[in-house]
Amino acid sequence: MKLSKRMCFLAILGTALLKPLFGATPGPWEQPAAALAEQIAAVLGPGQAHLINHNLSSIPSSEIGVILRLLRQDLKAHGITYAGDECPNTLIVTFSESAHERLWVAEIEEGNQTQVAMVDLGPIQAQAAPASVGLTLLSQQILTTSDPVLAAAESPVGLVVLESSQLVLYTRAISGWQEQKRVSIEQRRQLSRDPRGVLTMTAGNQSFDAWLQGTRCQGGPTAAGPANNWTAQCHDSDDPWPIAQAPVTQASEQSGVSATQPASSLSAFYNASRDYFTGVVTPSIGVDLPPFYSAALIPRSASSAALLVGGIDGKVQLAENGALKPVAGARDWGSDFAVLHSGCGAGMQIIASGSGEAITDSLRAYELPALEAIPASAPLAMDGTVTALWTAPDGKSLLAVVRNAANQYEVDRVTALCN
Amino acid sequence: MLRRFAISCLVVVLAFPLLARTRPHYGGTLRVETAGDPWRNLDGIARSLVFDGLTAFDANGNVSPALAIDWQSDDNDHRWQFRLRPDVHFHDGSLLTSAAVVMSLNLSCMVNCPWTAVHAVSSQVVFTGDSPMPNLPALLASNEFLITLTHTEDGQTPANPVGTGPFQFSSASNGVLTLTANENYWHGRPFLDGIAITGNRSIRDQWLDLSVGRTDIAEVPPQELRQAEQQRLTVVVSRPVELLALQISDSGALANTMLRAAIAQAVDRSALYNVIFQKQGQITASLLPQSLTGYSFLFPADRDVNKANQLRGGLTPPPLTLATDGDGTMQLAAQRITLNLREAGFNVQVASAHNASHADLALRMLPLIGADSASALGIMLHSAGENAAVSGQNPAALFRAEHDFLDLKTLVPLLDLPCATAIGSRVRDLRLRADGRPDLAGVSLEGAQ
Repeated sequence: MKLSKRMCFLAILGTALLKPLFGATPGPWEQPAAALAEQIAAVLGPGQAHLINHNLSSIPSSEIGVILRLLRQDLKAHGITYAGDECPNTLIVTFSESAHERLWVAEIEEGNQTQVAMVDLGPIQAQAAPASVGLTLLSQQILTTSDPVLAAAESPVGLVVLESSQLVLYTRAISGWQEQKRVSIEQRRQLSRDPRGVLTMTAGNQSFDAWLQGTRCQGGPTAAGPANNWTAQCHDSDDPWPIAQAPVTQASEQSGVSATQPASSLSAFYNASRDYFTGVVTPSIGVDLPPFYSAALIPRSASSAALLVGGIDGKVQLAENGALKPVAGARDWGSDFAVLHSGCGAGMQIIASGSGEAITDSLRAYELPALEAIPASAPLAMDGTVTALWTAPDGKSLLAVVRNAANQYEVDRVTALCN
Repeated sequence: MLRRFAISCLVVVLAFPLLARTRPHYGGTLRVETAGDPWRNLDGIARSLVFDGLTAFDANGNVSPALAIDWQSDDNDHRWQFRLRPDVHFHDGSLLTSAAVVMSLNLSCMVNCPWTAVHAVSSQVVFTGDSPMPNLPALLASNEFLITLTHTEDGQTPANPVGTGPFQFSSASNGVLTLTANENYWHGRPFLDGIAITGNRSIRDQWLDLSVGRTDIAEVPPQELRQAEQQRLTVVVSRPVELLALQISDSGALANTMLRAAIAQAVDRSALYNVIFQKQGQITASLLPQSLTGYSFLFPADRDVNKANQLRGGLTPPPLTLATDGDGTMQLAAQRITLNLREAGFNVQVASAHNASHADLALRMLPLIGADSASALGIMLHSAGENAAVSGQNPAALFRAEHDFLDLKTLVPLLDLPCATAIGSRVRDLRLRADGRPDLAGVSLEGAQ
């Protein structure tokens, strides 16, 4: 009994000394510790108890001590003091978790009786990814949704998101993007299992144009009414989709279009029952292209450009001067790439998704001085699979759609930091 | 042990390009071999390719729309209405109607249904129940309630299975079932042109065919995972998706709860785990795994023969029968359990599968599907023939529900087991379904044109 009293006194002294420390900075464990103590007290009532703990969770052991101190403090406030193992009342506290949530469980043993108390702490937070070296790619999440995102476009007043059966319009709010309107897209054709789409902003970034399988939608803010009031109209269309557009610069504005040089913008016919472009582009670039997944205009000099094409056979080729030439160093590329005018190094890089075997995808910058892709950055790990990638209208950033492990779709803005 | 299992699964999964990064290619025929009949069992691989349910599980086990685009409940979950997806056609071209759905459901569920009645009302399917049906959307996603065409437009019974799924029946000859892509599938035409499924192939034959490139997909029973790795097969392993459990009749010789409790104490899970299932899966005494609830550790899984003898209290029940409807491994597990029970004073004989319905004990594999604990528990208990209404997401309430059910000692959880599949080098974009089986509807083939 003497020993028990001494331990109780030490425990009280310890908590009394530590209380100001924890009272000053309320942490994430205070509320659940208090809730568990309250449940234990409701079962046990005031008295003494011997406390045993197990950690089955991902909470680091350094934190467990903090939690136990909080718990003892809260138990004491309910009249339950810490005792040695000779005490007939035993509290077995287990810090547990499922795949998604943390759960703290107390088994309250009073003689032969055992009762259970539980506190659900909610979802486990994921950690952020580290940065890389060299020309550094940066990713910033701008939207997360459970519906598959085919494309998205930003404008000064809104964000337009193209999904497989609807357009979703967001407006800026203090807390981020706020959904403003949904426009249903009536699809007469069955969607592809790997649906794709294109979204472009026009007329000073005020109106938008969207293409998806067999359908084209156009919209923008209404002439009358509030500035953030949008409308959109959709109709059946087999028009070619815009696939490659040089950023608006003085050089490109002055350049002409020849039969053997790709124009400053190109459109391509999409195979609506599959997931690729047929190879027919408009205006013609004077060379037969294979069916392809992705294409990008690559400036080759002040007055010319070449078309980089990622074929469905996995080959990356460059259409230039009326010929189609294979590009080396692109074996690790996935099916999606886009051009980023970063201003770093050669001024322009190709950002390609990886074709690796990892569970999550990555993006990496490459330069193409001749016919070999040279890595220009470390891979940027993404949160899941990159399902779409395109250049923003200003050319200085990309937008990527990532399907994460939880089957959520993220729209990420990708930029480069020169080193 | 949990951590070791998770790491071993991860190693196997990471060794394989599960999510190839390039876009999937269209075309080609996937070759699949199975040990069972692809049609006969509820989980026959062909069924989920040819038929759809009103709802479906996504890869994470969440219930998502399938043939029904939305649903709502009234009257405290006693009434549910599901709105059908418009313009969906069966493979024979006939329109999917609510009446066709009702006929299919009435055919697939004649007894022990989760509902009391099901009606077609306009484009809606309405279920009513004498008891609340909180998990009906999840139950309707199971293979048991896939929608088939029962009668053609001229009133005839279809000669071959007809559904609305991503693939349609093409032919069955020389033991090979051939399915072709449904060009008008509501969820998008599959990447594959077709799937050829060879049934009734032994595991050894499947692996041999895989190694020489005669098949693309082969099965790997959990207990043979190590051998598959030794043979350098590329294996993808799911999280635990099945619960091995001992079901105990609460009537006849085992009407006494103490006898059932004695049986629960006498079973040696460690022997099943170490010997029969070759250290695959996880020992458990709870219905739902730790990864789903976080409280599984509260159910002790240790064997205690002394306590079993105490619980039996000198009673000597008449000879008991233990049935299992599974394969050779399940038979071995059943024989092992009879040995355990004899040590605790029970005389148990393994019965043939034909006598399963009259057996005192049954060794069963129960599904472990669902992202939320209440749905997973509801589906599992329905599979075990218990129509218990489990609702709510509060861990404490779920723990109490599970604890109270297990206290009846009619179901003794033993092992949580994964599902494993070996794949060939041509297979791309393979994902696992919520039930751990490969999602063949989303697969594409390397080099397909």
